[in-house]
Amino acid sequence: MDDRSRFSRRQFLQTVAASGAVAASGLAGREVPFLSPTKASAASTVRFQFSVPEPLRISLVEGLVDRFNKSQSDVEVKVEFVPQAQARQQLITAITAGNPPDCCQMWDNWLGEFDGMGALEDLTSQIKGWKFYAGTAPTAWQTVSLKGKIVSFPLALTNDAIFIRTDRVKEYGLKMPTFDWTTDDFLTLAKGFTKPEKNQYGFGLRGGGTWAVLYATEFMYGSGAQVLKDGKVVINSPEAVSAFEWYINLILKAKVTPPSAPTDAYRQIVEGFGRGVTNMYLHNSGSIEEQKKFVGEPNFATVPIPVGPAKKRASFFFSETLTMFKGGKNKEGAWKFLTWMMDDEQHFKYCTTLGLLPTRQNLAEKPPYTEPSYAGFVKSIPFSIVSPYLAYPSWGGKLDSEGVPMFQQAFVGQITPKQCLDKFAEMLTKNMA
Amino acid sequence: MNKEASVAMPAPRALLSRATRETLANYTYLLPAAICLGGTVLFPILKAIHMSLYHNVLSRPQDYRFIGLGNYLRMIHDPTFWLTLKNSFVWVICSVSIQFVLGFLGALFLNAEFKGRAFLRTLNLLPWIIPGVVVGLVWEYLYQPNYGPVNDILRRVGLLTVPIAWLSQPAFAMASVIFANIWRGIPFFSIMILAGLQAIPDEVYEAATVDGASVTQRFWHVTMPMLRPIIVVATATRIIWTFNYADLIFVMTSGGPANATQITSSYTLLTAYTDLDFGYAATLSVILLVIMLVFTAFYLKFTKGVESVSG
Repeated sequence: MDDRSRFSRRQFLQTVAASGAVAASGLAGREVPFLSPTKASAASTVRFQFSVPEPLRISLVEGLVDRFNKSQSDVEVKVEFVPQAQARQQLITAITAGNPPDCCQMWDNWLGEFDGMGALEDLTSQIKGWKFYAGTAPTAWQTVSLKGKIVSFPLALTNDAIFIRTDRVKEYGLKMPTFDWTTDDFLTLAKGFTKPEKNQYGFGLRGGGTWAVLYATEFMYGSGAQVLKDGKVVINSPEAVSAFEWYINLILKAKVTPPSAPTDAYRQIVEGFGRGVTNMYLHNSGSIEEQKKFVGEPNFATVPIPVGPAKKRASFFFSETLTMFKGGKNKEGAWKFLTWMMDDEQHFKYCTTLGLLPTRQNLAEKPPYTEPSYAGFVKSIPFSIVSPYLAYPSWGGKLDSEGVPMFQQAFVGQITPKQCLDKFAEMLTKNMA
Repeated sequence: MNKEASVAMPAPRALLSRATRETLANYTYLLPAAICLGGTVLFPILKAIHMSLYHNVLSRPQDYRFIGLGNYLRMIHDPTFWLTLKNSFVWVICSVSIQFVLGFLGALFLNAEFKGRAFLRTLNLLPWIIPGVVVGLVWEYLYQPNYGPVNDILRRVGLLTVPIAWLSQPAFAMASVIFANIWRGIPFFSIMILAGLQAIPDEVYEAATVDGASVTQRFWHVTMPMLRPIIVVATATRIIWTFNYADLIFVMTSGGPANATQITSSYTLLTAYTDLDFGYAATLSVILLVIMLVFTAFYLKFTKGVESVSG
């Protein structure tokens, strides 16, 4: 054998190492999986994180992103689905590591925290020149504005209203409430609905998760209570304590709530109503579509939260947002995608599929928003306010980790409503930063 | 022939003695394992101690600063920490002691000769091989007050008129999650003790029988002493696991209601991933480590560790 053509072991190893190095250098710059199909070498990638509280959203967003990608030649969106429970934490760790997505969907109550980290792109000037700026509800802009700057697009709005089983109202000979019903009417109806021997209860009170605090606060506003007044926390005012006591007594004295109320979270209150265990619950319009499948459209309706003793009431506005990050690598592509998502057709499809309210009046006047199932939410718009708990970024996590256990202590009677609200006010005051 | 080449020259003196070289070689062999252990065990511990000395809230990077023992002082004044520590001890003591007793009985049963023993031994492992999160979901469903089977059965047999919210009432919540944890942990003890029982030579029992030992005497003076090393290892391991095991609680109650089922390890997770306060979470984890180290040292001392029976 000719020595010149012989491949020695050393040469073989050198060749393998060299090819490995060449391949690795070629792959080093790639941010997409090696084997995934690429659209076109010229298309720039936009990383879009989407948090998923329910499976329906995956198919909806996949469909929208697919349509966007087909309509574009220079931008390709890669959607990263993250379970809702991990979304906030994942974003924070990505920002801390200097590798955030280009844009994401998030809830407005997270914005303050991310802005505090210096992570959000200021979109004020771009958005003020956007074609739908003037047509978008001012409240919607309020939910995504921080210290005078707009940091997101309001993708959808939510406020809260009471879901009621209309078929059971008839069955038990009760009176269907009007839109201006009172807390006394509410209690009477809840009592009429409560049949423990049939495993049926009047009101699916939420005791778990951040909204346990928010829903209780909405009822407190009916007594004239407020969270903040002149820059001070006043959620332990006598009016608030009195309203909170009334609210807690739905569990402890009137017993119109299911036994699991002190820990029932989103899934439990929605399913409790859907399975016929509860006959009323307070929630946003996001569960309308689910209830149409659970109890059927003719069997339920929505009405605004009842008027309290101070002749007042409040429903808290929240928005789902589309947000861009300062550390994003493809801001131009992200802007293109987000404005496409906010166009009439996509915006309307997103909101109607999920049962959320659109942020533009022209879309809110179309069906299904004219149906009875949405009536409670539409009628609540005049007295809906941006959640007072958005005032300080630090309150976001603390409501969940410290606020909810305090409220649960009150729900199970371990502490009095006053003790609970005093502790709660102290916690909020300590975290006003 | 070259004469000069045949003259024996003294070998150059080695830089290190033979014994030193051997020692160095031995340590070199240990190096890969030491690096792996250092990287996976020692480094995270040191990093946690380091983090515990800082104000490190992930959402406030501008506030990152050295605060010395500030987090430890905060912990001392944190009533939730003390509540979770008390809950942790209740959780561990109740779970492990009952798991051990029932696991022991299960092992004795599975050690006996009967038809279908192999099938039952496999079935016995089922709760242990199901992932903790799935176990949590299954038990959460079983306890569901409105449509869960537990309440349904109790109502059908007339023991209940109104459903009990097992996981929503502070009086029942901890007991309910402990019960689920007991169910999950019994197979661990039964399989460990069964292995120990099968390792005891028959001759020892025969000799004891010849010497007139009764069944009870054989159990206390032969079986128990010979199982001691396994029992010590199994209980110590299980105690440490249970102390740090937050999956079931997270899934079933998230520490609620009103922190009634919050144990220190789940509180640590909540602090880290809800409040994003990694400095304080690191402090809690360092304290958990210290508690477990002290416990293990005392436990091994009192039980004389895993020394041989004759020792």
